[in-house]
Amino acid sequence: MTIEMELLSVMKESERIEWSRLSAISLSKIKHLKVPMGDIRQSLLPRDVLSAAKELLYHLDIYICNMVQSGRQPPQVDSKTVELVEEFILHTPKDRNTPGRRMSALQELQLLEIMCSCFQEQSRDTVRQLMFSALFSLQGNQADESRMALLGKLVSMAVAVGRIPILECAATWLQRSHRLYCIRLAQVLVDDYCSMVPGSVPTLQNIHSASPRFCCQFITAVTTLYDLTSEELTPPLELLQMIVSWIQDDPRLVLITFLNTPLSGNQPISSLDVTPLGGLVRWCVKAPLTYRGDKKQVLTNGSTDNEQETGPLFSALHLSVLQVLMLLPNILNEKGLFGRLALLQLESLAALTSDLSRLLDQADKHTHTSSSDTLLLSQLTLDRLAQALQVALANGALLCSREDLRAICSRLPHNNLLQLVLSGPVMYYNNIHTPPLAFSPHAAHSPIASHPTHPPHTPHTPLTTHPSSHPPYPGQPFITGMPFPFRPSH
Amino acid sequence: MSAQKDCEFLVRRARELVSDDPCAAKAWLITARTLYPADFNIQYEMYSIERNAERTASAGRLLYDMFINFPDQPTVWREISVITAALRGDSQDKHAQFLRGLFETLPGRVQCEMLLKATEQCFNTLEKAEMLLLLLKRFPESVVQHGVNLGETLLEAEVSENVETPVNCFRKLFVCDVLPLVINNMDMRLPASLMQKYMLKAAEFYIGYVTRGPSPDVQIQGSQEAGSLKSPNMSRGSQRYVIDGLSEKSSVVAEPWERLLDILTVVGARCEWQGDKGQRTYVDMLLRVKELCRYLPSLEGETRSRCCSQVVICAALVLFRSAFLYVSSVQPALFQAVNALSSGPWILVEDLSSVYNDLELERGAVKHAHKKRKLADGREKTMSSDDEEGLGKGRGRHIIVTKTEMPSWSETLESFRTARESWDLLHSHDGLETEFKKICASWKTDSWLWFRIFLTDMIIYQGQYRKALSSLHQMAAVLQPQPGQQSPSGQVSLEQHRALIQQASCHYALGEYRLACEKLLDVVGGLSPPNQEPSKTPEDQGRVKAKTRKGNDLRLLPCTSKAVLPFGLQLMLACFKLRAFTDNRDDLSLGHVVVLLQQDWPHGEMLFLKAMDKICQQGGLQYENFFNYVTNIDMLEEFAYLRTPEGGRIQLELLPNQGMLIKNPSPALGVELNTLLLQGVQAMDRHHTVTRGITKGVKEDFRLAMERYSGHRFNAAGLTS
Repeated sequence: MTIEMELLSVMKESERIEWSRLSAISLSKIKHLKVPMGDIRQSLLPRDVLSAAKELLYHLDIYICNMVQSGRQPPQVDSKTVELVEEFILHTPKDRNTPGRRMSALQELQLLEIMCSCFQEQSRDTVRQLMFSALFSLQGNQADESRMALLGKLVSMAVAVGRIPILECAATWLQRSHRLYCIRLAQVLVDDYCSMVPGSVPTLQNIHSASPRFCCQFITAVTTLYDLTSEELTPPLELLQMIVSWIQDDPRLVLITFLNTPLSGNQPISSLDVTPLGGLVRWCVKAPLTYRGDKKQVLTNGSTDNEQETGPLFSALHLSVLQVLMLLPNILNEKGLFGRLALLQLESLAALTSDLSRLLDQADKHTHTSSSDTLLLSQLTLDRLAQALQVALANGALLCSREDLRAICSRLPHNNLLQLVLSGPVMYYNNIHTPPLAFSPHAAHSPIASHPTHPPHTPHTPLTTHPSSHPPYPGQPFITGMPFPFRPSH
Repeated sequence: MSAQKDCEFLVRRARELVSDDPCAAKAWLITARTLYPADFNIQYEMYSIERNAERTASAGRLLYDMFINFPDQPTVWREISVITAALRGDSQDKHAQFLRGLFETLPGRVQCEMLLKATEQCFNTLEKAEMLLLLLKRFPESVVQHGVNLGETLLEAEVSENVETPVNCFRKLFVCDVLPLVINNMDMRLPASLMQKYMLKAAEFYIGYVTRGPSPDVQIQGSQEAGSLKSPNMSRGSQRYVIDGLSEKSSVVAEPWERLLDILTVVGARCEWQGDKGQRTYVDMLLRVKELCRYLPSLEGETRSRCCSQVVICAALVLFRSAFLYVSSVQPALFQAVNALSSGPWILVEDLSSVYNDLELERGAVKHAHKKRKLADGREKTMSSDDEEGLGKGRGRHIIVTKTEMPSWSETLESFRTARESWDLLHSHDGLETEFKKICASWKTDSWLWFRIFLTDMIIYQGQYRKALSSLHQMAAVLQPQPGQQSPSGQVSLEQHRALIQQASCHYALGEYRLACEKLLDVVGGLSPPNQEPSKTPEDQGRVKAKTRKGNDLRLLPCTSKAVLPFGLQLMLACFKLRAFTDNRDDLSLGHVVVLLQQDWPHGEMLFLKAMDKICQQGGLQYENFFNYVTNIDMLEEFAYLRTPEGGRIQLELLPNQGMLIKNPSPALGVELNTLLLQGVQAMDRHHTVTRGITKGVKEDFRLAMERYSGHRFNAAGLTS
């Protein structure tokens, strides 16, 4: 239900524009509209698998056009239609006794082609979205496996031949579907373009320009997929390079979904994050430890991924992430969300820090005499963590107090910068160059739009969906009078 | 535990990382800035990284932040002054270009503010002006507020800094940069008097620039060895010119006369000058103001004074430009901007190419001049009034030029004419003359050597020889050899004699032959031997022209030994010719004429025959220098013939001591001529001793002398009787 509601709000705009064209185009099809979708089944049964699927797509198109045109609120695909899709397109057995019909590989390819052109030719965004939803919205039944299989093939094909409408629909799908399924779709693309066919990465690279929305969702899915917990969950070098180059070229790319989403807060709980920032922070922070592990494996399995190659990439990526965070105050203020929406969740950061303390512990144990190299990499990890926390906090991406941060970082080893960040800046600023001023004396008259200093103080009324109501930075001075015990020893 | 220590720690970490991992360094600084946004060093470090990597856009943004947030930081000002210096300069190196690009990324408002503040902090007038000029060029709306002030500041600086010449850095900036902005700004209304003042400032600068002489240190460099290229002096080539305080590139003013005309056009339009629809050329301009001049008497009040200003300014500019063009072709070595090698100096003198002509042809002129001379002998003092009316038939005088030697002869003569016309126009009304004299006084044109040269040539052309002479006397004094002024060809020394030759020519024109010859002898002594083959072709051309004209044409004579020596001889011939052919017997003059006629023989054949006739008529000739100086075979034969019965047995006393008849070598001229001819002959390596055995028989001696001179040819001719 909620999906349809969402769609409706998204599509209203385009609908109005498309209305006149819609009536003209659909005129020839209107005579079919009298036939309810349920009655079509009889006409489909005698047909062979491919033509039955084609026929159903055809009717689906007419049906949805009609539905949109009639202005029924909300436009939603009924269960009968979904069943038809499952039976004639996804070929799920109707009941246990009758085995589902199967398509040959060639027929399947033909069907994919037809679907591609079907979406390509449909000019109305609303209709396309409803079609896509009718075909691929997860129903929580056994047909979902077939759905995912067909979706993976369709999106992979759309990437190959540059079918932008399908990528756009898939982007929406990635926003609405459960993250586990999103990860699976991302996995298909990574396998197809990064693992199976060498040299096909440039094709995938193009999605950046073809559909930035899809690209952004793809990055989110990929960073969720590869959480660097194991060697399998480490992104392939080509993928990493591609993502770094995307973000370097256009840091705002990672915010596209966020920028295009009308309101946040009513997102399905299990869906992907609205930005890949959390995943990217995790990548950058954990990378020094993970790839250090890889180094050992270079000797055993000859992997080419090593610190030498990935080090600069993650360093650049980390900088890009910080730069994106600095763009946030203006964007959040424009949306009236500053201090009310956390793009980085404290919970996931807590997970990251506990993960880190475990990893650092292990590293310590594995190398009994902790080499200087290991120490350096551990410190790099902690430096990046500290930087990400501080910059996120300062730019309103993370809504918590420094005390919260100290709590989640309590088990981490010592790092000067981290200590500085956790204790916060010294309030009595006695730099000889400038008069002692409170925070952000220049923010108010800062003329550059994306000036990354602190935003003006806004009334902090956290959204109801946001559980914590910590006074966000820079409201809180850190425990006045009581020095934090771990000031960095410069 | 202080904030400052935190900041130092953060910046230090960034610095440590920047070479190996610039991304990490930037991540540190971004973090640092969110911790301590008010710390300057963090932001400066961020800026430094971007600047050192020459990333224009990001460096520009950070500079902007610093400019806004830390307006009092000396470091920011140091940075801004480096950038503004790059803007003012013309360096093409990569970093300077980056700095200029960096400035361009800033919003216009900030650029404006930055330049203004940078200007305020600048104490050097020139730099300050350059900075303000950057502002004016970029933001035309600021011209209204700052334009005139800047101009006045520059003009004041000229005074306060005691600069000697109008071609100085302040004036250059004013004329070439500020003035066009000010006069072209339509939002400003300047009083006409101010516009005219500025116009004259511009004119003075451009004229001074064009007519600048070769700078002395350049000449010294030229004579130095080329070994010490490292020395600062040597970095400037011989053709380079630098206005003190400016770079070499900004010392160059392209097409100065055109720029001046541009300014004049704008000023004219804004001062609402008459009939001023865009001055195309200087010549057009002269025609227009000439026209305008005719209405001048009928005008009154302000219209009249405006019209007056227009005429005077336009005519004066045409005058100075044309005079410059004339002088640059007549005496190119005076100017650095003129290629001195193209053509040597030229001297405007009386044309004497008709000196060989038959007396009949020029009788009128000769008689006239002769009478003049006689008068002159008596009362030389009164000649000055006389020469204005008597010899001043200047209009329409013809100037003969050897066209092959001066390819640009027609332009040169045209410039001379235009300059004279402008001068006449400027002196056609009292009002105009007064205005013009004011300009001359403020520009100190009296001290412009080149202009004096023009003026002298002009009054010579007008026939005011007395005036010309006094001017030439002054110039000769100025042109005395000065240490360090030396050219390899020795041409400078010839040029120094230029004034003397002109004086001789003037004296001749005034009929003062004695003085004419004196001046000539001063010059000729220093000449190198003439080329053996006489330049026939040009002389022929000259003569063809001369035939059709009366004897008071002028000639532009190349200032070379090759041309000057024949001219000197011709001038002497012209002097003696008049004496020799009077009704009185003057054997010495007649003898000199014969000697001089050998130059360029047989051009003077007719004249020689006249002389022979005269000898026959008077029944003899006494000229004891004859064998020292007469070497021409045709002449010798002719004299030999006179002694024969067929020739009339003429009484010739041509050997020294032949008789006691030479009692009175009265005219001092004879002695001087002797010196002259002696030198000339010595130079030609035909020296013969004058001493002879005085005891021998005259007849025998004569015959022997003839034989010695002409060898066997005389025998063959049956000279001996």
